[in-house]
Amino acid sequence: MNWGDFLIIMGVCIATMLASRVLPVFLLKGRELPGRLSEALGYIPPAAFAALVANDLFSAPLLAGDLWPTAIGWIAAVPVVIVAVKFRSLLWCTVTGVLIYGLLLVLFP
Amino acid sequence: MAALPIVAGYIVLGVPCGILGAQAGMNLAQITLMSLLFYSGAGQYLIPAMWLAAAPIASIIASVSLVNTRQILYGASLSRFCEHAGKRLSFLFAATLTDESFGVNTERFANDRDWNLARATGVNLFAFVAWALATVIGALAGSLFSVPVALATFAMTSIFLCLLFMQAFSRPAIVAALTAAVGVLICKLLGLAGGAIFIGAVLGIGAAMVVSSGAGPGSGSGPGTEPGPGSGSGPGTNPDSGTDSEAGKGLRMLSEGDGDQGQTAKEPTP
Repeated sequence: MNWGDFLIIMGVCIATMLASRVLPVFLLKGRELPGRLSEALGYIPPAAFAALVANDLFSAPLLAGDLWPTAIGWIAAVPVVIVAVKFRSLLWCTVTGVLIYGLLLVLFP
Repeated sequence: MAALPIVAGYIVLGVPCGILGAQAGMNLAQITLMSLLFYSGAGQYLIPAMWLAAAPIASIIASVSLVNTRQILYGASLSRFCEHAGKRLSFLFAATLTDESFGVNTERFANDRDWNLARATGVNLFAFVAWALATVIGALAGSLFSVPVALATFAMTSIFLCLLFMQAFSRPAIVAALTAAVGVLICKLLGLAGGAIFIGAVLGIGAAMVVSSGAGPGSGSGPGTEPGPGSGSGPGTNPDSGTDSEAGKGLRMLSEGDGDQGQTAKEPTP
């Protein structure tokens, strides 16, 4: 990745990240947002994460009709979800996902 | 001490993140800068993974920025603890807040009367240093090992799945998630892969707003600064709703916006 591309990506991402992190703290200072706005903000996480998961799972090879090894992702997603619901831990979800995905990749190439 | 579970988690997540960055052709300086100035686990997986997948720069930026917006909720939720603190400390706290440190600090503020912004910022900083060191180690190791791209990408998918299923699922939230997922699929089938994530998410939010306003005023809006309680990492309402497809069952309990119980919880990582 050359520095030009890196700086463009980083510059914008850092700006949006800092804005998302810092602005609410300074603008709100304990005050409440208008109801509809805070409600809409509350739907960002489920919508955004579902979109990201869908983007990964409906991958290009799958949409092109190439079922294996694309299906590995769908299979490995099941235990990850179970771990997420039971343990609510990013760490254990990642470990579970990578282990099972890696295992399937090795066993059924 | 409250930071220990996060530190352990960040070391485990940070090393592969650095390896992935190296694999995407980022050099040590770039990876270090990214950890120090950007500091986002999901974002730092997303950027090299999308880069390796040859995604356009605009699409990388849109996806990462969209993922970052969840931080708005954390800041909004904890801003009340910054009311009497100095500007610098508030800034430092806000700028180093993550999914995990939000989870731990929310729990501490709720259950520990002596917990204050300085200690909360301390937790953030320990996590920050651990993350930066781990990614640097990964970047150095990246020249020795290589991780299959599909596997690294799935590590990221696992993180998103986890964040998704830790949400408090109200009915509109489910509508948001399902609409977003279907929206992404349709976008990709239409050949709009670059904007799929953003378009899908916006459709999802719109659909949820429509559903919630149709269901009567106020339903699900909840108290203003209390976002979905599960939206970070740890604090769990733990509705024990069972398997994923059954998520609907656990919802009814939460649909009236009683998000408060989610604030008492345990640490995100065992």
